[in-house]
Amino acid sequence: MIFFKYDRRIFQNFDWTLCGLVMAICAIGVVNIYSTGFSLSDNQSPLYLKQLQWILFGLLLMMITFLIDYRAINQAAYMVYGISVLSLIAVALFGHTANGAQRWISFGFVLFQPSELMKVSIIIALARYFDDHKSNEPYLLRELFVPFMLVLLPCVLILKQPDLGTALMIVIVAASIVLFIGMNWKSIVITVVSVLVMLPVAWLFLKDYQKDRLLTFLAPEIDPLGTGYHIIQSMIAIGSGGFLGKGFLKGSQTQLKFLPEQQTDFVFSVFAEEWGFVGGLVLLMMFLSLIIWGFKIALHSKDLLGTIIAFGITALIAWEVLINMGMVLGLLPVVGIPLPFLSYGGSAIVSLLAAIGLLMNVSVRRFILQR
Amino acid sequence: MEKQGNLRNGPEPAEFRQKLKIIIILTVLALFVLMIRLWYLQVIKGDELKQRSENNAVRFRKIQPLRGLIMDRNGTVMVDNCPSFDVLYMPTKGVDPELMIRKIKDIYKTKSIDYSSDLPFPKTVKPYLPVRLEKNVSIQKVALVETNAIDLPGVYVDVTPVRLYVDGEIIAPIIGYTGEVSKEELEKSEEDYLSGDITGKYGIEKVLDPHIRGRRGNELVEVNAFGKVIKNLGRIDPASGSTVVLTIDAQLQKAAWEAFEGKAGAAVAMDPRDGSILAMVSLPSFDPNLFNSGIVRTEWEKLQKNPLNPLSNRAISGQYPPGSTYKLIVAAAALEEGIITTETRISCSGSFSLGNRSFRCWKKHGHGSVNLHRALVESCDVYFYTVGKMLGVDKIARYARMFGLGEATGIELAHERKGLVPTREWKLARMKEPWHLGETISISIGQGFNLTTPLQLAQAYSALANGGTLWRPHLVQRIELSDGSIVKKYLPEKKGALKLSPKTLSALSYALWGVVNEPGGTGANARRPHADVCGKTGTSQVIGLPQTDKARRMQKITAFHKDHALFVGYAPMKNAEIAVAVIAENAGGGGAVAAPIARKIMNAYFDAKKKEKAVKVAAEIKSEDETED
Repeated sequence: MIFFKYDRRIFQNFDWTLCGLVMAICAIGVVNIYSTGFSLSDNQSPLYLKQLQWILFGLLLMMITFLIDYRAINQAAYMVYGISVLSLIAVALFGHTANGAQRWISFGFVLFQPSELMKVSIIIALARYFDDHKSNEPYLLRELFVPFMLVLLPCVLILKQPDLGTALMIVIVAASIVLFIGMNWKSIVITVVSVLVMLPVAWLFLKDYQKDRLLTFLAPEIDPLGTGYHIIQSMIAIGSGGFLGKGFLKGSQTQLKFLPEQQTDFVFSVFAEEWGFVGGLVLLMMFLSLIIWGFKIALHSKDLLGTIIAFGITALIAWEVLINMGMVLGLLPVVGIPLPFLSYGGSAIVSLLAAIGLLMNVSVRRFILQR
Repeated sequence: MEKQGNLRNGPEPAEFRQKLKIIIILTVLALFVLMIRLWYLQVIKGDELKQRSENNAVRFRKIQPLRGLIMDRNGTVMVDNCPSFDVLYMPTKGVDPELMIRKIKDIYKTKSIDYSSDLPFPKTVKPYLPVRLEKNVSIQKVALVETNAIDLPGVYVDVTPVRLYVDGEIIAPIIGYTGEVSKEELEKSEEDYLSGDITGKYGIEKVLDPHIRGRRGNELVEVNAFGKVIKNLGRIDPASGSTVVLTIDAQLQKAAWEAFEGKAGAAVAMDPRDGSILAMVSLPSFDPNLFNSGIVRTEWEKLQKNPLNPLSNRAISGQYPPGSTYKLIVAAAALEEGIITTETRISCSGSFSLGNRSFRCWKKHGHGSVNLHRALVESCDVYFYTVGKMLGVDKIARYARMFGLGEATGIELAHERKGLVPTREWKLARMKEPWHLGETISISIGQGFNLTTPLQLAQAYSALANGGTLWRPHLVQRIELSDGSIVKKYLPEKKGALKLSPKTLSALSYALWGVVNEPGGTGANARRPHADVCGKTGTSQVIGLPQTDKARRMQKITAFHKDHALFVGYAPMKNAEIAVAVIAENAGGGGAVAAPIARKIMNAYFDAKKKEKAVKVAAEIKSEDETED
């Protein structure tokens, strides 16, 4: 198989639009994280610098996933998936615990969150499977058994951490891919019905504290110290930004630390408070452009594999943007889903940038591959 | 350009095109909804939410944990917590904070109380971040502020726990004090500090701060526009710090303090059987309660400028020439090196000649012919000049180090000094000069370059008392949780052993017994009836205090040139239970001044023991009576 063959066309047709958009969003992210850490008088190394280091590392990885032909990467798809699952098992066995969740593997000075890597691994694993099992007809339920297991295994491990948001994201992205390449209507109906039937049964198997968690997730007002507080403060922060915003480093909600989780899940509130509706709109437009561009790459790919990879990655970004913003704006319940490229988090940004490398990979190779 | 090589066997691209079109439209719609929501929050409800952000009524507050107690070996609480009432002000937009302070002053004036705060009012006030106006106010002020709450919008009383140092200055140099975490500590420390936290600044409070501090709690409260809590929305309780149990005996500590009658100096009482410190005083001292809510600047300056340096713990960081207490070590060296036997007699005429120099004995007309026993009992200088000259400085140094001198003892306190055991090598390195024989003569009686801390002396004599084991002095017995479960236990630790023959050991301890109990002994003032006190007096000439310059400027110049009085001893002679080192600065002779102090400390120890025994016996008799009934 072609591992890496120098081809002038890779650089001639380099996807500057995609690369530029991602870099611009990352830059906004770093500036925004700088603002959240601005008034930290505590002894903490500045987060924005850490994030910058992660981005640089991510860009390196992005170059690699871009240069190696995605069909070569496809050969390793199950291996990457296997490594991701193994690291999730490692987390379950001897993971690092923080804020009541066991999500990380500690490598001394850095913490690695395998569930972030899993979000990307599941996409290439599914792409590999559907590329290997092409069909002209919509897939039937029994044909989807392997993909179902591919999704179920990591989801169980991630739910155990517990990390409902990430598990949910993997299910949503996988479902999007399956629906996109086509699933038999009857099969869809059967799946939906059986899930609805299973839910009350699953409830019986949950422990009390897990039920509590789910209840707070569904009704945040019963936990004012937690998610309810987040939502109130987030909406106040965003609203108080007004049309033009309070200005860089001037967001009082942010600077006075009313806003919790401001570097991670609620990072958009910080941005909206300081840059106002205008800033928020610009950011939304950038994300929209990125998403449409990604779907176009999926459409123009010369093979099914490229289409699925490009579609999956774009769907992941789109869902994360929609769910995160929906929750920050008080439209959706609070569930731990970060905003791509803006939320602080090393594993997330590195995985995302690697995924963007794949997207660019697909984008460029349509000029090289023959149909 | 499209060639139908048909790599793809699967759904038709046209089908994908159709699906993607729908997906893109849905995405645009979803993002449009988000945009509408953003517009709604920021533009339509913007002003209202801006108002709310300025009046943000829901806030997290950290709850400071209670620091752990500090107890003595018998469970007597030496450091407790008590409530302190602070007057706080929550600034409101458009209200001049100075005006509010003037109002408070006026209210105080009606009851003729002064507004006493030298806390600088911050130049820039952030709305809704409270400013501490006055700390640790009286109940009267609390009542005034509370009853006039309507006239003082934004002013309220906050209760915080502060340290209560029960024995105050008596034990301050050991226990230390607490204060608000400093900027440097916030930046440097790996500990999880937040500004406003209380942390140990000195002594045990500092050394064991990670254990004593406890864990912060949080609460979510709703406050009104004046910063007053109107609703509690939830809280995470703080966890109190662990209790520290010291080896100190609070009663003995008090007795040691009182024995000094205000003289400057230090005393260490140690259990020679395991190195645990029973009492450790340093005078003058300071009141650690002053630091509780931030020390007033004038008080701080007073402490800083005091030439007697009340903030230092003389027992571990005061370095003094050991004087004649050092003769024990020279005697041990001479016996072990075979320079003398216990019977070797040396004639003392009252002075000792070396070249054209003459060194005098403290007794003008001399002691006549004395053996080692009498030389120690009467503290004959000439005897030790002679022996010291034969030994040489380096041999003496070797034995001094064997007794633990010249290096930090390793007690659980910061700022411990090493003292100094001079050698030829040291002098050459330090002063770039060769050693003079005359200096050996001074060294032999504990003068010259020799420096020891009171703790080192107690450690050295303890080693002799227990038959030759050098224990590391320790102050902390254990750390436990409030439910009594043990977090950490501090076990006694052997540091070394005196490599002395049993004959030497018994000769030395018999001589030390003679110092106190034989006629003509210099330590007669430490004598206790029916108890074999052993010890050695010392009187060391003053070279100068660290604060000599300041001292000179003082009127009583001569007072700072008086001799230091020393006594180091233990009791009883066999199976010693307590070793005591006393130094009284610029107080005169060791036998006259230091020995009585040591006696009082030992008295307190043995009296308490007797009492304890009596109580025990009484209890036993009582329980026997009850069983008989």
